[in-house]
Amino acid sequence: MSANDPSHAGHGHEGTHTHSHTGQYFAVFVALCVLSAMSFLTYTDFWRQRFPVEAGRTFMMAVSCTKAMLVILFFMHVKQEANWKYVLTIPPAIMAVFLMLALVPDIGLRGRKYSPERKARMAEPAATETADATHHAEPASGQPTPAAH
Amino acid sequence: MSTAEHSHHVRLVYQPALPLSNGKLFMWLFLSTEIMFFAALIGAYIVIRFGAPTWPTPHDVHLVEVIGFFNTLVLVLSSVTIVYCLEAAKSNKTGVAKAFMGATLLLGSIFLGIKVYEYSSKFSHGIYPKPQHSRIYEKADLYYASAVRARLQEISGALTVKPVWTNEDAQALAALDAKSELTDEETTQRKDLRTKKDTAITEEEQKQLAFVKELELKTNTTDLVAINALAMEIAPLASAMSVGEHGAAHHEGLNDQMPWLRLPIMIPGGNMWASSYFLLTGFHAVHVLVGLIFFAIMLSWNLNAASAGAIENIGLYWHFVDLVWIFLFPLLYLF
Repeated sequence: MSANDPSHAGHGHEGTHTHSHTGQYFAVFVALCVLSAMSFLTYTDFWRQRFPVEAGRTFMMAVSCTKAMLVILFFMHVKQEANWKYVLTIPPAIMAVFLMLALVPDIGLRGRKYSPERKARMAEPAATETADATHHAEPASGQPTPAAH
Repeated sequence: MSTAEHSHHVRLVYQPALPLSNGKLFMWLFLSTEIMFFAALIGAYIVIRFGAPTWPTPHDVHLVEVIGFFNTLVLVLSSVTIVYCLEAAKSNKTGVAKAFMGATLLLGSIFLGIKVYEYSSKFSHGIYPKPQHSRIYEKADLYYASAVRARLQEISGALTVKPVWTNEDAQALAALDAKSELTDEETTQRKDLRTKKDTAITEEEQKQLAFVKELELKTNTTDLVAINALAMEIAPLASAMSVGEHGAAHHEGLNDQMPWLRLPIMIPGGNMWASSYFLLTGFHAVHVLVGLIFFAIMLSWNLNAASAGAIENIGLYWHFVDLVWIFLFPLLYLF
């Protein structure tokens, strides 16, 4: 039998491992939903008032990595695959990291090289206004109805 | 155990290639290139975002976290339905497999539908990736004030050229309508009056004109504080609200109250955000669309054990699409 024969290939354990993974998939789905909710909760005022922004972002990335690992290991069946998985996944993963790092000097640190003229036209964080000045920005008298046009 | 005994039990098997089918090998090689593709895009986004002097908050650019969260659940659920489809196909339950394939197609379509809604929401606020359509200005400076003034003059110019429907016109038309027989000249006059009545500036438009003229006065200033206040009046930024207001619901500005104004908006870092957002989510949406096309084609197949290999391959692709969104959701909606 050829190694390329689909009936022989596929999952590493397929030949001896015929039981259904239905329960496992459902458990992974529940875990993914819970993890999604966890990352969403970091955006609430409850979280903001208790933890620094960096902690929330690190937590969200950790949650995302955990979710990604669950999908890769169970839904993509990588957990059951033979060692070829390392050959096909590790090199692009390394390349991906290098691609990102290659952008840091020119793009990530671009602000350090700005000329004074460029800085003068650079976007700045919006000045914090009082709630009254922004929220109740009443238009001038004789304002037409919003529904017009 | 001696070395000789041990070597007696070792059975080496020669494998001429990787122990997987050609289709699956192709899919994994394709996914390898996709990993680099999206890693470069997401990496570029991260580097651009954290290297930027300022970046808009999700509320500044009208992103709704709950919608992103819902889309995440939809995509995760579709990942579950496609693995259930594979399980059913392996067991030769073709009907069940088709049902799960159909469910995956439906969920993917819901995801795309929500994405279209989100895009239209951005467009309605003047947030486009292209400068020709985008109304985003990075700073509330003289350029911004000039752009607002130009837009206001464009509106007032279009309204000013409209004829004014007077009482005399109304009386003349009524008199002509009352006549039973009209000369050629009177017929032409009545036609002209009716055209004038149809194209005349309405009371509502007169109010708009007065409002636009009044607003235009606010742009005739070089005071940056006043220009910033005008920008906040046109389209308030959630990030500029005081601490107590932050995280509150959408703050309505003049552009929201009167959509016909379509005035330039000030979002610091907004142009780079729009480019990144539309590029990342656009490429992801294209991948979703490709997946949906394959699902639609495969729905016409007999989804039994013989087609399990193909289902597994498209499933791998779909899970990868899900993986990308798992990272895009927090990066775009929550950071």
